[in-house]
Amino acid sequence: MRRFTFFLTAVATMAGLVILIAPDPGRADGQPAPFVTEIPHGYRDWRWISSAHEAGKLNSLGAVLGNDIAFNAWRDGKLPFPDGSIIAALHYSNVPSDENNKVFGQAQSFVPGPPTNVQFMVKDSIKYAATGGWGFGHFADGKPGDAAFMKSCFPCHEKTKGSDLVFTRYAP
Amino acid sequence: MKRIAYLLLALVALTGALVYMAHASGRSDEEADPIFGIKIPPGYRDWKLISVAHEEGNLNDLRALLGNDTAIKAYRDGKLPFPDGTIIARLAWSYVPSEENNKAFGRAQSFVAGPVTNVQFMVKDSKKYAATGGWGFAQFKDGKPDATAAPKTCFPCHEPAKARDFVFTQYAP
Repeated sequence: MRRFTFFLTAVATMAGLVILIAPDPGRADGQPAPFVTEIPHGYRDWRWISSAHEAGKLNSLGAVLGNDIAFNAWRDGKLPFPDGSIIAALHYSNVPSDENNKVFGQAQSFVPGPPTNVQFMVKDSIKYAATGGWGFGHFADGKPGDAAFMKSCFPCHEKTKGSDLVFTRYAP
Repeated sequence: MKRIAYLLLALVALTGALVYMAHASGRSDEEADPIFGIKIPPGYRDWKLISVAHEEGNLNDLRALLGNDTAIKAYRDGKLPFPDGTIIARLAWSYVPSEENNKAFGRAQSFVAGPVTNVQFMVKDSKKYAATGGWGFAQFKDGKPDATAAPKTCFPCHEPAKARDFVFTQYAP
């Protein structure tokens, strides 16, 4: 037991050292843009911004939530989003609800099926300066997307420069 | 002296509560719905998300279900029936294509919330609403209660979901 504790302490110390030694990826020139690699804590409790349905290949039903900083910025209509803003996009497969349809007497009702992924945008104008001040995150089954996939976020979001790279509008 | 201090404290607390309530509701002249006597619950837009949905056909809307803390806790604990004090809000918008998103995606695939259609509430009070499964139902459009027959149709439609305490929506993780 004692040995194990010692081992754990050693691992923790090492981890701390590595974090200290490792250069901040956001500031290193010529390094690939940093992404969000950890799921923000408590995001499912955040307030709700809007819903969306992506047809076609994605065929997903989504909910966008914002932490207090993001939510208030939206509600107040203030752009750009301040540092500390975090936006969560919860995606589910878009499935028909047999139960609802039976009640309505026709096939019309679509609800969230199994979750497909959760995506995040984290605002930090210094750390993520190379990608418009936003760090992008994508998690499927709790695992982050690979570097190749993550590279596709910014070029697409860049098209919404007029709203600080954010597609979603606040639904009143 | 002590008694006066208590009284003062109580007064301050009461004033605070009243100010908060007035502020939270925004307007005090809100109309209650004629059947169940439900007013728009103050602050419902700040509640946590239960789930989302899309109804096709005549409704053609995009929805969000929000719950007050009592509702969210019951959902997460998987406890039925919902306790008294539960309020579920159903917000709906017309389902519209997003030209901006579609341009970014390079194809027509994205549908978002357009203008608000209406907002509905289910309020749990097992005594007051005993005749309708313990739930009061209300629909508001532009902040005004729906005076049409719509609320009367709520319970008969929700009745098939009796096994889940008359609630269709399930919690999206």
